[in-house]
Amino acid sequence: MSESAPPAGRPTQALHPDDENGEHAHSAVPYIVVYFALLFFTVLTYLTGKQHLGTWALPIALVIACTKSALVALIFMHLKDSSGSTRLVFGTSLVFVALLLFFTVADVATRFHPATPAGAPFGTERSQPEGLLEHELPE
Amino acid sequence: MRLSEADSHALAGAPAVPDYLHDGTTVMSWLNTRDHKRVGILFLVSVTFFFFVGGLFALLLRLKLLQPGPFFMDALSYNRLFTLHGIVMIFLFLIPAIPSAFGNFVLPLMLGARDVAFPRLNLLSWYLYLIGAAVALWGMIHGGADTGWTFYTPYSSTTPTQVAPILLGAFIIGFSSILTGLNFIVTVHTLRAPGLGWMRMPLFVWSAYATSVIQILATPVLAITLLIVTVERLGGFGLFDPARGGDPVLFQHMFWFYSHPAVYIMILPAMGVISETVCAFSRKNPFGYKAIAFSSLGIAFVGFFTWGHHLLVAGQSVFVGGAFGLLSMFVGIFTAIKVFNWVGTMYRGAISFKTPFAYICGFLYFLVFGGMTGVALATTSLDIHWHDTYFVVAHFHFIMVGASVMAFLAGLHYWFPKMFGKTYHEGFGLVAASLIILGFNATFIPQFLLGNFGMPRRYYQYPDHFQALNVASTAGATLLGFGFVIIVIYLGIALRWGSRSESNPWGSKGFEWLTDSPPPTHNFDEIPTITQMPHDYRTHEPSGVIRVT
Amino acid sequence: MSHEAEAGLPPGILAHHFSSLSRQNEAMRLGMWLFLATEILLFAGLFTGYAVYRFQFPEAFAECSRHLELTLGTVNTLVLITSSLTVALAIHYARNNRRHAAAVCLVITILFAFAFLGIKAVEYTAHFHERSLPGKYYAFEEVKIPGAAMFFSLYFLMTGLHGLHVIAGMVVLGFILRHTLQNRYSSRYYTGLELGGMYWHLVDMVWIFLYPLLYLI
Repeated sequence: MSESAPPAGRPTQALHPDDENGEHAHSAVPYIVVYFALLFFTVLTYLTGKQHLGTWALPIALVIACTKSALVALIFMHLKDSSGSTRLVFGTSLVFVALLLFFTVADVATRFHPATPAGAPFGTERSQPEGLLEHELPE
Repeated sequence: MRLSEADSHALAGAPAVPDYLHDGTTVMSWLNTRDHKRVGILFLVSVTFFFFVGGLFALLLRLKLLQPGPFFMDALSYNRLFTLHGIVMIFLFLIPAIPSAFGNFVLPLMLGARDVAFPRLNLLSWYLYLIGAAVALWGMIHGGADTGWTFYTPYSSTTPTQVAPILLGAFIIGFSSILTGLNFIVTVHTLRAPGLGWMRMPLFVWSAYATSVIQILATPVLAITLLIVTVERLGGFGLFDPARGGDPVLFQHMFWFYSHPAVYIMILPAMGVISETVCAFSRKNPFGYKAIAFSSLGIAFVGFFTWGHHLLVAGQSVFVGGAFGLLSMFVGIFTAIKVFNWVGTMYRGAISFKTPFAYICGFLYFLVFGGMTGVALATTSLDIHWHDTYFVVAHFHFIMVGASVMAFLAGLHYWFPKMFGKTYHEGFGLVAASLIILGFNATFIPQFLLGNFGMPRRYYQYPDHFQALNVASTAGATLLGFGFVIIVIYLGIALRWGSRSESNPWGSKGFEWLTDSPPPTHNFDEIPTITQMPHDYRTHEPSGVIRVT
Repeated sequence: MSHEAEAGLPPGILAHHFSSLSRQNEAMRLGMWLFLATEILLFAGLFTGYAVYRFQFPEAFAECSRHLELTLGTVNTLVLITSSLTVALAIHYARNNRRHAAAVCLVITILFAFAFLGIKAVEYTAHFHERSLPGKYYAFEEVKIPGAAMFFSLYFLMTGLHGLHVIAGMVVLGFILRHTLQNRYSSRYYTGLELGGMYWHLVDMVWIFLYPLLYLI
């Protein structure tokens, strides 16, 4: 079969922006910087976590975690240099996680209170026997 | 009529290039194929087999329902059968059928590509499908689950029937679905032929793309939900079990977060097939290409915001239920846009009333009525009356069978010459289509009535005064079954003894028809540069037909 | 000459249906991000269960969290973050044609993964001994309020699934280590290595959320 082959001697045509072909050495400095930033944020979340800041504890922890994740995604995973479609994929997945979380928690938060879960009773036996159909099984 | 590539090869004195069906005829060449067309055929055979398995379960159920009291099988068997009917039809037929059978075959052809982005992952997708099916089958043979395909907890986490293998089977099949979706998205982004911008893609590709987005985002949530139920069965974790302080409604949230978008996985590819066939059999450009394309994305997106309408009477917050009901109305808007555009395409078209067009007519009727009953069901006040009755059963069968299966059959007949290079008997095609449309109405319209009169679904016994409608429904189901069997017979005959078809027997302007029928393994000698619009019938035809839109 | 040989690549890298290596790289990266999106949605289900039960039982969750080994959890966080650095460095060295440095970084990453699993094993053993176990096995004497067993059900599900992904990640790292030693990656082509690294970063990202949500309530 005849294929439209790339002209010989020009293998670098149509290279992606981050396929540099080694003409200039790629730098490791961003990775080191991000690493220390991640260490800093880990210490920060540890310290703020131990403060037991009440209602602010969860938002602060989540903001720090999101910042750390953003650093990992953008720099370690090269999302910063990636095409729009890959960034859209990542962003969209986060939107749908938020969607799932939002409606489900909203349901539990606004439900008729006796219909909310009771938490496990400390006695761990089930209140009903298991195997409801055992007596009906032919074998 | 233009010469096929094979004929022009022969004229030029070149050795004959075998088509993809004959390029390697050993079993291993099929089981180890990287060719998207062969993977499509493998899926087509598999999903057809399981369609009949699921259909057999349905006929057995309807047989029992001829009598209001105990008849032909006991209650536990009945529960197992409706569970398995749902599982087989949804996971082994509806979810994979159009994307993995037809999508795999035509998507690369429509994009001017030689294959999907990841051919080996494509083959893996088929093997995962088979392995998942085998695991679920093992569970079925050893008694099967009796929970309904929706596996509601705490029954599913405590019943002693074989739920775990079926959950595991569904989990594995989910990965098959994810891989297909992943492959399609990457193919559309990276393997379009030169000149084929997004706004020149055939409408089936838009639908397949939207479907793939749903497969990627929704299926993993099903996976984790089924995994948690399995762990609960084996380890007593209690997340969904109220006796251990858990929340059974939480299961329903997580289950339907997948399963509602899943119904759009089932219908969007069907809509894509309809878009293709409406244009081909009206010989007319699509009325509102952009509207049809973007409404596919709209359905995929908005479909994720509606799952709580399955929980309206489950104990969910009434406020959240109201929100979900309202959001559910919006999906109807996108579907309506499509229906108006299809009808607008047919208006003043040169209708060619072949078998695919008969299925298009059935599809439109069933989609509209099924869809409208869906919008009605999403209203809490009405759902209180209809929930868990046969009204719901009739609603989703109208869409899943009436619309989805009709579109599958339309695609099967439309692409039959493309896939196999053979012609089937048109008369039998129309007869089967008529039987199916008639039989379907006879099966499910009585069920709307039964549901409205209050007959619950998934019940082994029913009050005597519902018997007449049940008998009518069973009669319709038998007719429906006959229709499907007739299709298998005449298509089988066509495969074996049918006459050779032309490369483009429908005169369709779809890009996949630029290749031979059946196509060679490598699809194109030269990757084409696309300059024309998709579904463009505004040209001089040798037959003298001029279409101006 | 095959079109990949013309591009100056070792055989078996460029597939026949891609017109150029850059297209194929783009496809591989997009494919991997799509797969990672599915992993994110997979864990999202567990985070949803966590959100619901933490909302219902805030005191029980806080109390149980105080009984986790915070030091071990923090060390594990540092271990995973460092392993993310080492795998990023492995890719960096491969891009600069320093095959042996890349291989060393991958080995260190795998060792960190072992360390993570080892620390988790220590924690799980402690839970077995004090009977702070999921669902029906919960018999932890020190916390006896509703919701406590639910915390540990979620703890074991979330860290268990994460642990499975750590193991899967180690297998992936093993594969790309083997390919690195076989001289498959260079400045011309390192996408396979990059994809393996991306999976490992996802494993790290999930833990970045698990740590404060489980250990620091």
